[in-house]
Order: sequence, then C-alpha cells, then structure tokens
Amino acid sequence: MNLVSCSVVSNHEVSAGNFLITLQVPRSFARPQPGQFVHLRVGEDIEPLLRRPYSLEGFTERGALRAVRVYFSVVGRGSGVLARQEKGTKLDLIGPLGIGFTPRPRRVPILVAGGRGVAPLLFLSRRLRERKRPYVFLFGARSRTDLYGVREIRGGRLHLATDDGSIGYEGSVLDLLEREWTGARHTPLTAEIFTCGPHGLLHAISDFARERGIRCEASLEGPMACGVGACRGCPVPLLPGPDSGRYPAMCVEGPVMDATIVDWARLP
Amino acid sequence: MKPSLEVRIAGLTLRNPVLVASGIIGYGREYERLVDLERIGGIVTKTVTLHARAGNPPPRICETPSGMLNSIGIENPGLQGFLEQKVPILRELPCAAIVSVEGEDVGEFCELVRGVDGSGAAHAIEVNISCPNVGPHGLRYSTDAGMAREVMNAIRPLTRLPLIAKLTPNVTRIAEIAQACEDCGADAVSLVNTFIGMAVDARARRPILGTVLGGLSGPAIKPLALAKLWETVQAVDIPVVGMGGIARPIDAVEFLLTGATAVEVGTAMFANPALPEDCVGAIEQAVAALPSAHVEDLIGALEVPEGRGVIRAGKAARREAGRHAS
Repeated sequence: MNLVSCSVVSNHEVSAGNFLITLQVPRSFARPQPGQFVHLRVGEDIEPLLRRPYSLEGFTERGALRAVRVYFSVVGRGSGVLARQEKGTKLDLIGPLGIGFTPRPRRVPILVAGGRGVAPLLFLSRRLRERKRPYVFLFGARSRTDLYGVREIRGGRLHLATDDGSIGYEGSVLDLLEREWTGARHTPLTAEIFTCGPHGLLHAISDFARERGIRCEASLEGPMACGVGACRGCPVPLLPGPDSGRYPAMCVEGPVMDATIVDWARLP
Repeated sequence: MKPSLEVRIAGLTLRNPVLVASGIIGYGREYERLVDLERIGGIVTKTVTLHARAGNPPPRICETPSGMLNSIGIENPGLQGFLEQKVPILRELPCAAIVSVEGEDVGEFCELVRGVDGSGAAHAIEVNISCPNVGPHGLRYSTDAGMAREVMNAIRPLTRLPLIAKLTPNVTRIAEIAQACEDCGADAVSLVNTFIGMAVDARARRPILGTVLGGLSGPAIKPLALAKLWETVQAVDIPVVGMGGIARPIDAVEFLLTGATAVEVGTAMFANPALPEDCVGAIEQAVAALPSAHVEDLIGALEVPEGRGVIRAGKAARREAGRHAS
C-alpha cells in the first residue's frame, strides 16, 4: 500500500451513467489482487472532502507502464467529479488496499455479479483464465445495456439474466444461481461462490450459501474515510457468532469478506 | 537564520507545533507508510476508554458539504488492550505521543490516567471530556464547568505528565470551561472537538447516521473553530491547542496567529495524508519571514484593531470578577 500519483489515460462513458476510467500508476504501486480497491482522490478541490473507495476492474502491465481500471456509475458528488476528469489529469490514490477474493484450489468458482458489481469479478475471471481454471459466471442486470464487460468473459461458462428480459433469462441472477447449483450438481466440496452487487442481492446469495454450507465471499461497498483501518468509520455488522462482539473494518478486513457471517440486515 | 519551530506545552517540547488529532491515524501504525512522523510534532492517539468498546452501529460516517459527520463511538481496545497492543507501537514513534483518554465517570478517568502514566509511553495526556458520540457522559463533563473541575481535580495529583483538556464547542461559553480546567491544574486546553450535527435522507425518511446525531468536522467548521479559539485565548493563560477544519497548509498559520500554541490536523488528512507535513512547511515559511525567526512570535500575532472582537468572558472580565470578590 502506497500513496501514489496517477494520471488519467482514458475515461469513457460505456453506457448511460456508467464510466470506465484508466489510471496510469507508477511502479511503486504493487500488483493488486482481484477484489482489492484503491482509495481515490477524485479531484484537487476540498469539495468533495473524502476519497472514494473503488474496487478495481482490472490491472495492466506493459513494459514499465502500469495502469488500473475502475468501472463506476455516477451516483453522487464524488463520482460526478470523477466522470468529468479528462485524459492527462493528475490525481492520486492510495492502494492497493484491503483483502481480495481467495479462490481455493480444486473447487469450481461460481462468480455471481449484479449490475456494476461486475467490476471486481471481471478482474477475477481474467485471473482465473490466466491460470486456466474453469469457472462459471452468472451476471444479472436491469437490462442488456447494463451488462458491462460480457464479451470479456472468456474461458468460463457464462449465463445472463436481465430484469426486463432484453437478453438471457428474465429475472434475478439468484434464480440462475439456484439452477446452476442443482443443474450442475455442485456441492460445497466442489464449488464456491464469489459475488458482488447491490447489498440486497448479496444478502439473498449469502442466505443461499449459508443454508447449503457453501463457501461464499462477497465484495462489500460503503463509504470510507481513511481506507486503512485507522478511523473505524466503515464497520461491518456480523451475525451472532464467535466474532459478533466487534465490527470489522470494511477497508482492512474487507472489502471481500465471508458473506455468510455478515449481518446484511444491519449493513446499509 | 534557520527558523525555530519548537514549542512547549508545560513539560512537553514539540519539535514543531503540528500534531495529528485524535481518531485520525489510530496509534500511528496504520499510517506509517503515508505520513512521515519524523517531520511533525506528534500525534494524539485514538481515545482510550477503561473498557474495550465495539463502537456504534453503522453507518458511522457521512460526507456533508466541505465536511464529514461521524459517530464512531470510540471503538478501542480498552486500557488493558492499549497497554498490551498499542504501547509498544507508541514507544517506537519518532514524534511525541499524546494519549487521549475518556472515562465514563471520575473514577474511570483516574484509572485511565494512572494506567497511561504508568505505561511510560505517553509524553502527555489529552483528557477527552468532549466526545459527542458516547452517550451523555463525555459531553456532560465538558458542557458543565463544575464537572470539568471535578475531573481535573481528581486526575491532576495522579500524574506529572502534561494534561491537555479537550473541549467541546457545543457550549454557550467555551471560555468558562477552559478557565475551569486551567484553575484545576490543566497544563493546556485543546479545542475544538466536533460540532454536533445531523444528516437526513429525505427519500428514505431516515437519519443517515446509525446514531442519528454525530460530530461535524472538516473545513466547514474552520470559521466556527477559529471563533472558539479566539474566545478561549482571551480567557486563559495556559497554552491552547487549536483545531477544527484545517484543510490547507496556511490554515495552520491562521490558528497560530489567532493564539494557538500548537495545532491538530484531522479530517482533511483522510484526503491528503501529507497535510500535517505541508502545515509544517507553511509555518516554517511564515516564521522565516519574522525578524526573530521564532514561532513564538507568530503565536497570537493577529493584529486586531483596539477594542474589537473582545469577548467578555476574557481574562480581563475574570480579573475584574476576582477584584469584586476580594
């Protein structure tokens, strides 16, 4: 983890309100793991005051050039400022931060993405492909235009779901997961789940996993102040259990956590 | 002439007047790769309470225009955990370590001061009688001069370490509380803690913070903090540590000019971890321009037209009251 300056290589609106920004980082920026995030200062001004945590969509290294990619939606002041940053603009970021996904050997990874939560899972799927590991990718969104990065998903088995039925299964990606689980006869010893998306979806997926004893890692999202575990501003509530007397900090014990111990009902 | 930035708060000598405020960088380790502690005066630790605290339910933070609300609730390992886990870290710090403590009653304050004093790792103790996020306890002690007195009187005999009373701005007259602390043996006061604030999500019809109310910090509060500082420096003779909304290096100079002996940098560090070092740079530049090249001549050097901005709770008022009494 380091504070590094970075410059905008490109910043495109890939669909309405959704952007992909590529930031060149110096060599002192360590190679990130899928699921890790950067704490990005979106502009030079005092306003907005805080950095924004973004999971990485990808990391590229060509010769001496290193770059990180962030896929983000314009949802508030920070992302609004970031969307306007043009090629060549200098920003800075702290990273890579947090805990990423940790696939276990000899189990089929089932990646379950909801909407823009696809970003860290695209990163993970590329890593799995590089390692020639088969995987299953289940991707749900509101409509086909929100299915960012679908063409990039190679080396795995892909199933799509849309709320409006514009492509793939009409309905929730949770239904796809249920079908996949029974249809392919996975068991907790042969497969595990990696997921990112709206917390309501993650809640449902973690219930699915807990009921069946499936290992399930989810990437959480929330506001952060320091990003390095000092300020304790990003607590994750846990279900009753051996660890429930404390609040892990999402920034250092996450953002990827065991989904089955998170108390989603108390997580905003 | 090389500018001299050294300041003293009772027995504590700081290489320069820039500190990191409590609750910002934990106990130093979390930020060791982001801030060069050798270049700043010191850090104030996350507040230590007698018993471990899990902190408040989420959400604990909310960004506001040029500011931030928090209701962390002093998540900390408690005195025992502090002594075991954090003291070894503090011993290695290349700057002053000021340990912040908060008790739920006078007895707890005493145990904490004894414990921290005995650890040998603290250069001073910041007595947090002003946290807005732990129920009525903290604010009770710093909104009531009588209770502030009670705490200070009880802990003063327990340590020779400098005691810095941290005050809340959520009072009508902060100077009265500062004077009470001074009377009861505080070596300095530090101010301001956060202003009580609230944020509302209109669409969800809910307060944004899990605890409804929180403490506002960040550049939004700087003018408010400067006013409280101004009021206080006119009322007491002990050093005043100023903080509240420092976000640009020159802000630190503004606090010194207004009369702060040292400053604490807080929330804006989340965006710019180098801010404390940058503040040292700005102070150095301001001091270099003085004939004496000494920071003492910057502190309180604000040029105020005669008779303007005088606050009645000032030293003069107190002396006058003293004369009447005698």
